Amino acid sequence: MIPFDWVEPRSFAEAVASLDPEDPTVRPVAGGTALMLMMKAGVFTPTRLISLAQIEPHYSAITVEKNGALRIGAMATLSALEQSSAVAEHFPVITETLLTLSNVRVRNVACVGGALAHGDPHMDLPPLFAALGAKVLVRGPAGVREIDVDSLYAGYYETMLAKDELIAEVFVPALNGAKSAYMKCTSRSADDWPALGLAVRFEVEGHAHIRNPRLVVSAATEKVTRLTQAEDILKNAEADSVVLKRAGEAAAEEVTLLGDAHGSASYKRELLRVYLARAIRHALAGKSAQ
Amino acid sequence: MSQMGRSIPRLEARSKVTGRAEYVHNMRVPGMLTAKIFRSTVAHGRILSIDAEEARGMEGVYAVVTGEDVRKIIPNPYFGPAFHDQPILALDKVRYVGEAVAAVLASDPHIAEAAVQTISAEYEELEPVFDEVEATLPNSPIVHDELKPAGTFADLKHLAGRKNTNIALDYQLRRGDVDKAFAAAVHVFEHEFRTQHVLHVPLESHASLAIPGEGTLTLHTSSQTPSFVRMEIARLLGWPENRVHVKVPFLGGGYGAKVYVKVEPLAVALALIVRRPVKVALTMEEQFYTITKHPVTFRIKSGVDKDGRITARKCDVYWNGGAYADIGPRVAQKTGFTAPGPYDIDNVSIDSYEVYTNRPPAGALRGFGVPQLVWAYESHTDLIARELGLDPVEYRRKNILRDGRPHATGTIMKDAGIDAVLDRIAERMNWSVAIDRGTGRIKRGRGIGIGFKASISPTTSGAIVNVSADGSVVIFTNTIDMGQGSDTAMAQLAAEVLNIDAEKVKVVHGDTDAAPYDMGTLGSRSTFHMGNAVKLAAEDARDKLVALAAEVGLPAGTNYDVQELFRKRYGMRAGNIVGVGSYVPSYTPPDPKTGQSANVTPFWMVGGAGAEVEVDTETGHVRVTKLVNVADGGKIINPKIARTQISGGAIMQLGFTLTERMEFDGGQVTNASFADYKIPGFRDVPPMESELIAANQENGPFGAKGIGESATFGVSPAIANAIHDAVGVRLTSLPIKAEAVLRALRAAQGNPLAEDEE
Ligand SMILES: Cc1cc2nc3c(=O)[nH]c(=O)nc-3n(C[C@H](O)[C@H](O)[C@H](O)COP(=O)(O)OP(=O)(O)OC[C@H]3O[C@@H](n4cnc5c(N)ncnc54)[C@H](O)[C@@H]3O)c2cc1C
Repeated sequence: MIPFDWVEPRSFAEAVASLDPEDPTVRPVAGGTALMLMMKAGVFTPTRLISLAQIEPHYSAITVEKNGALRIGAMATLSALEQSSAVAEHFPVITETLLTLSNVRVRNVACVGGALAHGDPHMDLPPLFAALGAKVLVRGPAGVREIDVDSLYAGYYETMLAKDELIAEVFVPALNGAKSAYMKCTSRSADDWPALGLAVRFEVEGHAHIRNPRLVVSAATEKVTRLTQAEDILKNAEADSVVLKRAGEAAAEEVTLLGDAHGSASYKRELLRVYLARAIRHALAGKSAQ
Repeated sequence: MSQMGRSIPRLEARSKVTGRAEYVHNMRVPGMLTAKIFRSTVAHGRILSIDAEEARGMEGVYAVVTGEDVRKIIPNPYFGPAFHDQPILALDKVRYVGEAVAAVLASDPHIAEAAVQTISAEYEELEPVFDEVEATLPNSPIVHDELKPAGTFADLKHLAGRKNTNIALDYQLRRGDVDKAFAAAVHVFEHEFRTQHVLHVPLESHASLAIPGEGTLTLHTSSQTPSFVRMEIARLLGWPENRVHVKVPFLGGGYGAKVYVKVEPLAVALALIVRRPVKVALTMEEQFYTITKHPVTFRIKSGVDKDGRITARKCDVYWNGGAYADIGPRVAQKTGFTAPGPYDIDNVSIDSYEVYTNRPPAGALRGFGVPQLVWAYESHTDLIARELGLDPVEYRRKNILRDGRPHATGTIMKDAGIDAVLDRIAERMNWSVAIDRGTGRIKRGRGIGIGFKASISPTTSGAIVNVSADGSVVIFTNTIDMGQGSDTAMAQLAAEVLNIDAEKVKVVHGDTDAAPYDMGTLGSRSTFHMGNAVKLAAEDARDKLVALAAEVGLPAGTNYDVQELFRKRYGMRAGNIVGVGSYVPSYTPPDPKTGQSANVTPFWMVGGAGAEVEVDTETGHVRVTKLVNVADGGKIINPKIARTQISGGAIMQLGFTLTERMEFDGGQVTNASFADYKIPGFRDVPPMESELIAANQENGPFGAKGIGESATFGVSPAIANAIHDAVGVRLTSLPIKAEAVLRALRAAQGNPLAEDEE
């Protein structure tokens, strides 16, 4: 490891100012769990790291608003999110997803901002937040902008964030009775990175009439990806086994799935087909995750 | 109070949880340099040049050392327990990706690491061979020009000087006449099973700190075998053993990764070259290039008569030993002879080959090869029972090897509770009652697997028990506590003899200047061998105390105070009593042609598992819903610790069964990190039951014997058998990943899952 500078700004604004739009060896660090792996593997060699650990405490806040919407500060740890009773009450799908996200040691230090900014497709929160219709609030030298999580990712380990922008907060709109589920399929240990991650959110009328479905796949794909054709099939349809099967087929056809150590592409295609129906059924049954 | 059967907490538990326990990784001494290793990027090649100019010039780099530099101070720098085949740093050739080629020394490990990145080497690449069966074929690339057995083991001597072969040992056993028995058999079954490349991953990786003195050397090392390390270092240097002092604090796990000799020769060579203390401490990632478990191809064939009795079994086992023999040849032999399984079979033929390949070296891993064999023979046995339409438990009972009957080596079985273990598994599985097989996408099934293992033999252990004038007791032993609780067990055994509380005994372990020779903490041998030695030493001390009592005029049989004894003898509080004990069991070497021996092992280890599983027929996902583990550990010294050995062994084998696999691209490991090589987490642990049967090992210390490996035996086949029971497909390769199950299911339905295009 070659020595590098470590800066600990006291404010978010100062942190933004310490970034360098041109230099990829200058990076912010939140919990450091992803960055350290990259540094150990030799794929990232920093010259300067901007630690966000000392910025204003409200960037770690987790708040459920009166209308049921959720605001999560970028520096909230995954454990804090997992243990928040307000989150468990309003977004049980988030709480349950966190239980198998890595392990308690990682969750104790990893932060929501880091989990969203890292850009590794093999992660659990990005597809879930994308399906929930969440946005990130991003601040750079030019000011603040909002990016929908479902369009935050440009490619494999690539995000739409500029090098001198930081995620300040995540905003998750209220569920308002909408159903949601996240299915994490692992092929090694239960707390492994997923082989396939599938998140759904939709509203229901009557027994199983689906409105406004949002289906998002990740891990098996290059980046977080909306399943728009499957969504079209489910839109305003009764979620019976015929429709679910068709949606599963459409999903498996519309995205390019990648084979890796977690499984072959053709196996992941089977998983997507099968898990799409399961995700919808779980969400309908009120079970948010398996 | 009897000390046997007391579940006292481990003696070192507090010092571990408070962070006081010592580990080599944390040691620092003045003037110490840290070594970082430059490793080969090719699987097989001749070294043309090593360019370390830039590294040598870097600020903070003390030295860069290559194999040629080592050769200047150690003329024949090849080490290993079975073969002297492994160079301290690569010489002339490299034989696997990850082999140590050069070392950078610096006070700052980060500088050493950065300097390693600047080194490059040129190789003339040679064709590699990776597969253990291909490596035995006539036109295979040859990994070593000539076989160089170490001479330590008589049964390897015949291999000296062999050329043009990758077979580092061709062990064979012949009993009865298999050909005739196959000809007469009503049914003949033949299958091939394979296992994958996995490794130990102790949470503490290898570390050695060598401190040169004046013609002496102190070596702090994370070793399971301090006595062997001392011998091997003394041999390499041509020094008397008393000039090498090996010390081992606690180990953060071993599982066989730290047996015999690993990074010690490198630490020593570097320290002697630079005349300063040198630490070699591997990273987690480097474990993947250090020692692994043998992948195995096992072809097994059985002849069965009209009543279902197995009359003949032929076993061909290929052990992928990787680039250096390590202890592999002993695995091929000492484990090889158990290949037919715990069955009473009159006609047996075994050929067991230790094979060199261009993979990382393989050695001993919790079970010494037995789990690979049980995987095959218990899958095979299950297939036979199924084919014959017989209940798998009943079928095993019909053929099981009972006490009093000869094993394939001719040794008569004794104190081996094979049938009892089988019975207890069947009872705990409620085997006589059918299970709910499930409907819809989830199907259920159950299976069992049992196995056994001989103790490595003949081996010896020595111990000293010191009684001070205040009556307090210290045991000196070279058995290493690596989390298995050996210190506590030894304390309980000595305390039982001396009639004191085990908690009051101190254990000094891992110090070759203080404690007598011990063959090693491996192969579940310590409770039996060192246990016997400690017991003998304690008895010696007790006898000397009795003699002292007589000397000072106390009438025989009186209850006396030990402090009083010493005071009477020396006129004040002074003196001590030293009890010594040394144990070597009897043994008859097997006939080299037939493998027959009247006494092949001092004791047998027995273990088995029963598994209930749910298979998701749409995804292939297997959920173990119940795992029963039963073992025969003789009389149990400390039930609580013993049970953790059972559950720990089973969970470890569960990882090897369902998820763990070193992935390779050519010769390159592509998942050399815990991020990508996944051992089971707490969420992967199924509902488990562990039982140690009521038993007695007649020649064991107070009836005890080893249990560290037994729970690994049955897990893999029990799960594969349960999957077959649930969904009717047979998996013959480990690990059993969900994708493999789904592929097998779909193939059986005539609707195979497509392979990815490259
Ligand atoms: C052993 C292990 C297992 C894991 N298993 C899983 C799993 O099962 N599922 C899963 O989803 N994930 C898993 N992960 C990944 C884990 O979720 C991420 O490492 C973690 O979320 C990253 O958060 P962090 O705060 O540590 O990020 P850091 O490592 O600090 O940063 C990650 C990236 O985000 C950038 N960054 C950080 N904060 C901000 C910000 N506010 N604005 C802009 N950029 C920012 C950094 O510059 C860096 O590029 C695992 C990780 C480990 C080490």
